[in-house]
Amino acid sequence: MTNLFDNNIVITFPDITKIDFVSISKKYLNVILLNITIYFVIFICSLFIVTTYYLQDEMMGFKYYLYAGITILFGFFYVVYAIGFKKRKYAVREKDVSYKSGILFKQTTSVPFNRVQHIEIDQGPFSRFFKLASLSVYTAGDSSDDLKIKGILKEDAIKIKEFISTKIDG
Amino acid sequence: MGNTADFSQFRKQSKKGILVIYANLLYKALKTSWLVLLLVAQRFSKIQENHFTYIYLGIAVLLVFFLIRAFLIYKNFQFKIAKEHFVLKQGILKKSNTSIPFDRIQNINFKQNIIQQIINVHEVNVETAGSTKAEISIKALSFKDAKALKNAVTISQKKENKVEEIISEKPFLKINFPALLKVSLTENHFHSLLLLFAVLITFFQQITDLFDGLGKKEVLDNYISENTSALQSSVILIVGLLILLTVIAVLSSVVRVVFKHFNLTVYIKNNALEIYQGLTTKKTVILKKNKIQHITISTNPIKKILGISFITFKQAISGKVKKKQLDKIIRIVGCKANQVNQIKELLDFSAQIDAIPFQKSNIYLKYRNYIRSLLFFVPLNILFYFGMEDYNAFWVNAIIIPVYIIVTHFFYKKRVFKCTEDIMVIGSGILETHQTYLPFYKVQNIKLKQTIFQERKGVADLVFQTASGKLKLPCISIEKAMHIYNYTLFKVESSTKSWM
Repeated sequence: MTNLFDNNIVITFPDITKIDFVSISKKYLNVILLNITIYFVIFICSLFIVTTYYLQDEMMGFKYYLYAGITILFGFFYVVYAIGFKKRKYAVREKDVSYKSGILFKQTTSVPFNRVQHIEIDQGPFSRFFKLASLSVYTAGDSSDDLKIKGILKEDAIKIKEFISTKIDG
Repeated sequence: MGNTADFSQFRKQSKKGILVIYANLLYKALKTSWLVLLLVAQRFSKIQENHFTYIYLGIAVLLVFFLIRAFLIYKNFQFKIAKEHFVLKQGILKKSNTSIPFDRIQNINFKQNIIQQIINVHEVNVETAGSTKAEISIKALSFKDAKALKNAVTISQKKENKVEEIISEKPFLKINFPALLKVSLTENHFHSLLLLFAVLITFFQQITDLFDGLGKKEVLDNYISENTSALQSSVILIVGLLILLTVIAVLSSVVRVVFKHFNLTVYIKNNALEIYQGLTTKKTVILKKNKIQHITISTNPIKKILGISFITFKQAISGKVKKKQLDKIIRIVGCKANQVNQIKELLDFSAQIDAIPFQKSNIYLKYRNYIRSLLFFVPLNILFYFGMEDYNAFWVNAIIIPVYIIVTHFFYKKRVFKCTEDIMVIGSGILETHQTYLPFYKVQNIKLKQTIFQERKGVADLVFQTASGKLKLPCISIEKAMHIYNYTLFKVESSTKSWM
């Protein structure tokens, strides 16, 4: 029963596996790494404060394990995000926009243009420095699961937004 | 229909509305302060005689204050209809002015709680599809006015549509009391019990919060531990408790179903379902065909023998308003097979869909459940090993592991799916059997998810996002998933029908 849609084989509908996905801007890796580094620094600093002021003497040996643990954890994050970065790709087609990402948890999302409610472009402080932006495409219903392409060039984001806007109105 | 003229000027609701608003304010006040009142009442004997006057005076002032507030709310709540817009002014100090174009109005529903029933007024709720504006509730209108308001809005909406069809007065579905009892007795009592527990837990939390605040937590803790140790010592008590729980579960199902669905009557009119139900709070809901996003037809083994099932309709919800979501899930109970078929027909679900056999999910779904269960069972047993003095606790495994295996078996067995040209049917359930019918063109966006383990096994999860929530199709083979993914996109992109 694999052929579920016998009637439709004559109509060639676009195949998501066959389209060319475009990688997001390479500069966005810097933003990701900067973000992780900030968290890392915050964690280490708070750990330092806690261990120097609140920990009793007999537990002093214990703190090195904590430092090591956090460093390893963040090292793992760096590696995962750096490898996973290559997998962040998007594609804009005639009638829909798609985004895929993830190495451990892969996912692909597609939003048809005729279901788009509105589109947003926003920029964080780091992204602004690298002239990057993220593009969010909202549909009806629960907006938390809508499509968001982070880390594309601002001018690309504007172009895509305009493209989709004309498609919706037309 | 000269009634439209009534709404051209700003007007207030029925004067009886003051009473409804007043009762509502008092109810809210009581709900937030019942615990404090209880504590005060407990110490009643300790209060000195001469303080009573102050207390009574305080209560009287509060009651008058609420009455004035209710009057002001009533006085400032004005609405009218102008230029295809529903306009509302409200607010005592913070005035607000809302205007809703008719085409954004999703539904106009009537509701009657017990006070509104006594004084014979109807609450009119205006549901909108927009996500930014709050929904409007007019607390008290006479039936005539309510009907006129609704007509004023719906008729001008209909101008662009077809002429009204002839209304059939014979109800499509009517559930009398014995039939409703039958429905309630065959409910999923586990579910009822869980709901009851959820309510009790919130009560308990409220109580502990209060005792915490008063520094009396120890008293409560002692009270509880005394009672639990007594409980442990007596097996008879435990058995008794189990029987009691069963009785409570059944009773709570009966009460829940009877209160909610009392005198359930459904009419089919102009491509919409009109649903009337409720005992203390009577509700009238009009479900328009194109507002329904997907429906779920559910049954359980006992209901199946009796040949009844219940249908859950999901309407489009606005994104951020989480609380309102429950209101938009509408359920009708006690449907016979031919009524189910009629509803499918109404929603244009082709009859051929039932002839197609279901396809199973990939067996990986079952394995994944077992693997995930280890996350629960391993720590539990480690806890038993280190935490308990004797090893009797391990016998718990003898009960929960077989139960878990059976549950997983049914979970996997009922996770099935099939697609026709226009509709996707997804089966789920453990004790109950649910079948969700989703027309492809109602999909908002689609997601394909795959973990690294799933990738190795060649399976993936599909998530359909609709305007009334997500629908998941877990662990199907990647080829089928891709096929459905592409087909859904094709269907949505080529569809000319509006999803709402």
